[in-house]
Amino acid sequence: MSLPYPRWFHARWIAAVALLPPAGVRSDTPGPIVFSRDVMPILSDSCFQCHGPDAKEGRKGDLRLDDEADSKRDRDGYRVIAEGHPDASELVHRLLSKDPDEQMPPPELGRPLSAGQIDTLKRWIAEGGRWGRHWAFEPVAPPSVPEGVHPIDALVQRGLDAAGMKPNPPADPATLIRRLSLDLTGLPPAPDVTSSFEAEFIRDPQSAIRHWADRLLASPHYGERMAWEWLEAARYADSNGYQGDNERTMWPWRDWVVKAYNENLPHDQFTIWQLAGDLLPKPTHDQILATGFNRNHMINGEGGRIAEENRVDYVMDMSETMGTVWLGLTLNCCRCHDHKFDPLTQEDYYRFTAFFNQTPVTGGGGNPQTPPVLEIAPPEAIAARDAARKERNLAKGLLDKAAEPEKNALNAPFNKAEAKLKSLDSAIPKVMVMADQREPRQTFLLERGLYNAPGREVTAGVPAVLLPAPDARNRLDLASWLVAPGHPLTARVAVNRIWQMLFGVGLVKTAEDFGVQAEYPQQRELLDWLAAEYVATGWDTKRLIKTLVTSETYRRSSVIDSRSSFETDPANRLLARGARFRIPSWMIRDQALAASGLLGSAIGGAPVYPYQPAGIWDEATFGKKTYTESSGGDLHRRSLYTFWRRIVGPTEFFDTAKRQVCEVNPLRTNTPMHALTTLNSPTYVEAARFLAEAVLRSHPDETTRFDAIAVRLLARKPAPAEVAVWKRSLDRARGAFQDDPPAATSLLATGTKPSGTGLDPTEHAAWTALCLNLLNLDETLTKE
Amino acid sequence: MSAWHLLDPASPAPLRDHQLAMNRRQFFGRTATGLGTAALASLLGRENGLAAGAPNFAPKAKRIIYLFQNGGPTHVDLFDYKPRLRQVHGQPVPAEYLGGKRFSTMTGDPSGKLMLQPVEPFRQHGQSGAWVSAFMPHTAAIADELCFVKSLHTDAINHAPAISFLLSGAQIPGRPTMGAWLNYGLGSASEDLPGFVVMTSVSKGTSCGQIFYDFYWGSGFLPTRFQGAKFRGSRDPVLYLNNPDGLSPKLRRGLLDDLAELNEMKFRAVGDPEIETRIAQYEMAYRMQTSVPDLTDFSDEPEHVLAMYGPQVHEPGSFAYNCLMARRLAERGVNFIQCMHAGWDQHNSLTTELYTQCRDTDQPSAALVVDLKRRGLLEDTLVIWGGEFGRTPFIQGELANRERWGRDHHPYAFTVWMAGGGVKPGISHGASDDLGFNVVENPVHVHDLQATILHLSGINHEQLTYRFQGRYFRLTDVHGHIVKPILA
Repeated sequence: MSLPYPRWFHARWIAAVALLPPAGVRSDTPGPIVFSRDVMPILSDSCFQCHGPDAKEGRKGDLRLDDEADSKRDRDGYRVIAEGHPDASELVHRLLSKDPDEQMPPPELGRPLSAGQIDTLKRWIAEGGRWGRHWAFEPVAPPSVPEGVHPIDALVQRGLDAAGMKPNPPADPATLIRRLSLDLTGLPPAPDVTSSFEAEFIRDPQSAIRHWADRLLASPHYGERMAWEWLEAARYADSNGYQGDNERTMWPWRDWVVKAYNENLPHDQFTIWQLAGDLLPKPTHDQILATGFNRNHMINGEGGRIAEENRVDYVMDMSETMGTVWLGLTLNCCRCHDHKFDPLTQEDYYRFTAFFNQTPVTGGGGNPQTPPVLEIAPPEAIAARDAARKERNLAKGLLDKAAEPEKNALNAPFNKAEAKLKSLDSAIPKVMVMADQREPRQTFLLERGLYNAPGREVTAGVPAVLLPAPDARNRLDLASWLVAPGHPLTARVAVNRIWQMLFGVGLVKTAEDFGVQAEYPQQRELLDWLAAEYVATGWDTKRLIKTLVTSETYRRSSVIDSRSSFETDPANRLLARGARFRIPSWMIRDQALAASGLLGSAIGGAPVYPYQPAGIWDEATFGKKTYTESSGGDLHRRSLYTFWRRIVGPTEFFDTAKRQVCEVNPLRTNTPMHALTTLNSPTYVEAARFLAEAVLRSHPDETTRFDAIAVRLLARKPAPAEVAVWKRSLDRARGAFQDDPPAATSLLATGTKPSGTGLDPTEHAAWTALCLNLLNLDETLTKE
Repeated sequence: MSAWHLLDPASPAPLRDHQLAMNRRQFFGRTATGLGTAALASLLGRENGLAAGAPNFAPKAKRIIYLFQNGGPTHVDLFDYKPRLRQVHGQPVPAEYLGGKRFSTMTGDPSGKLMLQPVEPFRQHGQSGAWVSAFMPHTAAIADELCFVKSLHTDAINHAPAISFLLSGAQIPGRPTMGAWLNYGLGSASEDLPGFVVMTSVSKGTSCGQIFYDFYWGSGFLPTRFQGAKFRGSRDPVLYLNNPDGLSPKLRRGLLDDLAELNEMKFRAVGDPEIETRIAQYEMAYRMQTSVPDLTDFSDEPEHVLAMYGPQVHEPGSFAYNCLMARRLAERGVNFIQCMHAGWDQHNSLTTELYTQCRDTDQPSAALVVDLKRRGLLEDTLVIWGGEFGRTPFIQGELANRERWGRDHHPYAFTVWMAGGGVKPGISHGASDDLGFNVVENPVHVHDLQATILHLSGINHEQLTYRFQGRYFRLTDVHGHIVKPILA
């Protein structure tokens, strides 16, 4: 806000006009104003761009509205905010002004405040203009909760009561077991699981939920399910990215993630191991392997790139990924200038990078095994390789020492030793991990974020505004700080992501941003209770998930059954309804494979190459890379194990993270390309063929076959109205294939796994067509 | 097993009246009020829905075809005629032109580099007298239709960041690209095809082709339904478009009707508006199954039209094929068509591969403009031809070795041409200095070009915004001025 005019200039008409509240305008917020909830977002959104924390660029009018003292100080006889007196506050005057030269925000920005927002600010000043801090930087403050009620339900109920809304009744048991199974394992419930659950549920709903939550959390597929989002956050891929896009061997790290989830490694340890396991005293193999997290960034092997520029890019990527995953802060905004909204300076940013700047990685070349690396092999393989190296060195020594005439004779043994070493060494997977170089590397603030524009030197350190840690010097200190008691962000950010996974949207909608510009969480008490509980129970992730899924809030039906609940809360932020959303594309594929009986159950290992149309890689890489499909069971492994080429991801998935930089808030869109994938891809046609075969063999008549399909896909039996349509589909298909028997043979030839013998092709094809349609039901694609 | 009580067709349908008021057609395209996208966004309950909505004012260009030339076409050899380059050929680059400028690592320190004359002669063409090199005879022949902007300059010196900068306004990948912004802001005018379509090509035998990264047509933080639909360079341009073998179109149609009926039932039972969107998108998928084969079937094109685009028009994946596809997409209402051709990176191939590049792109580009004009489409279709930067007026390589003459990346001045869609024909705007080194007249920054393209589409570039990570983002960041002198 620039203040070119003396105060008296406007005094007269301000008194006359500005103080009259426009008729019918009501504040956006009933009840007393809470600074961080009601005021801060308005100031941040509308004013901080020019009057915020960024000291260098763009601050206008010598005014900081993020700073209490500056906003309230005397400015030669007037004040921007005069506590208790909105009429004497220049802020209010400027907001109401119609003069384009003094109106704020400037009209050319085209983002005027609403009358309700202005009223909120006026009321806040009238109530004394009490300042506060951004809520997410305040310590976690768990509310007290009543005895005898699930704390989540008690807290959610407060919000519903305040809005005068009634929650939905619980979902029926079929919906519930499918919801639980998809959420906790990413797979649909097997038919016998569904029937056991329903039987238990009839006896005692609570105990059935608890029992099956435990069983599903104990399943090895739990770790696979949890790993997907973590891999997206960690920008995991099986190649470097950029031109060349060389393959890399990070999958042992991926397998460690699955294992860590399955063994329920507490989140604080999960954090420390991944950020700094190498710096722990006497680190174990797994603790070093875990640090591969940091090395999942892209590697640029383009000719003509400057090595130092690459190296700086990698260090920034490591810091920013840490910032998003643990702090929920958009550190990247501070690369070039102080944060426009959050109290983070450019110096804070580069102090974070100083932790990661100690890696010996140089940035030159596109080697996908740039040291430091960890060798993943049985000790015998490593011993054999080391022995071969000795042999080769011996041979080299002999060769070097030999006189010229003898050299010829020694060449062959040397070449042989060399070849042996190469083959043994290249057979040992090497995972890129972290280490700090012995000589500390200086870190500088980089002007405009440019690698070749160093400013002043900075030391590693963390922003005290979050939690002071004056002695933090290395990555281990950084990781310990993140999980230290009293850290305001780490637990909140972590529980929010798990909430997002189960409920489709986080308690803080922007899982990637808990900064000042993020929304104030409507369910702040719930978020804080969960965060406190998570820490108090030793960062026990399985326990947290069990707490969530045993609440009534989780169990609610997702039916939109009264117009008012939808219209007052279409996005279901008050949680009157259960979540209903399309499952991720990888889960759609896994579900189809599981329901048809095709899914392989092996866990971990080198990536696999499921069906993909020919030519995708060739086209993207000018013929340098060609996709070779796996054969046999590797075509039907869980999606988690699909080879991820960074410049052209697997074609069968949609709305997944791009695996280029950290992403923690996956998109969920609804496009015709998605429909074409699940309608026509051989994966789904083959799954339909095997689902059809399974029910044709196991059930004698149409009715029981319909039931069996529905139970496998939807965990329920079909309603009569549905059956009528299914029958019609089946008849259509039967007719078509009776008229054209070769068409049946063609359809049944899709996918490489052969069907069993003895089925009538027309029948089998007709049921395949029906099953393919049912794999595309909205309900199949959706978690209800 | 519990009976499924919700799927009773007699059960109350609370949201039905509300939902059925949303005519199904609104899902597909822009209605007279531009409601299509807005309706969809509000139905999806996306709070970030529409900052923009309908156009800010009447657009001059209803659709855009961007003929993007990846690699950095050499402005000094093609369109920016500098006779003085002949006089100073072989002399060191004058120091006063350099001024601490940054070049790629291949050049490093540019001082002492030798100046290089244009490879081919230039001649003036048409009423407008535009200078065009002999490399581009077909483009030269339509000079009076074109508006050359010779004062473009950019911030980036390497391919991927520079292309990303031109198409998304940021060098680092992850921002929405121009087509995504327009699709988001204006909705799609096509009922049978996505609103933003991308095709790529590369000349045969190109030694230095650049990768086509998907962030060149990405939607960044905008929902992915706004991202460019990448058509593949084969007879099957959309993945999974064809029905499975043995499943006839007739059977598929019937099955999709059944599927829609089942989904409608579900919608009545649970009231989730997303189900209606899904029904609509399955319908669009089906339409694409018929519209895309029709789109790619050139048998309805007269022989003289095909001939105009050149012999490669018959090869799927060639630039000529893609140019004809672009016209066919434009006719079908697709708003933003991005044809990218790689291989303009003449570090050592000015006297060899540059001829191939021009042979493969010159004729089809010119044919597209002529074809659009003959069909009356040019006046509201904006065609843009250009790359991410220019090339150095000095040599990369040895002067004595003409076979290996080359030029390095040059962001400080380069040329694009535009045609149709509200741009003045037969003019040249802005100028570089006498060596084609720096801009000396009417500089046009990349953000200015973007602001102008949005303006021609009826959008104020400062108002097309999207809130992400707590900030309002736009294509032009916080910059951009409309290049008014080129507006018709």
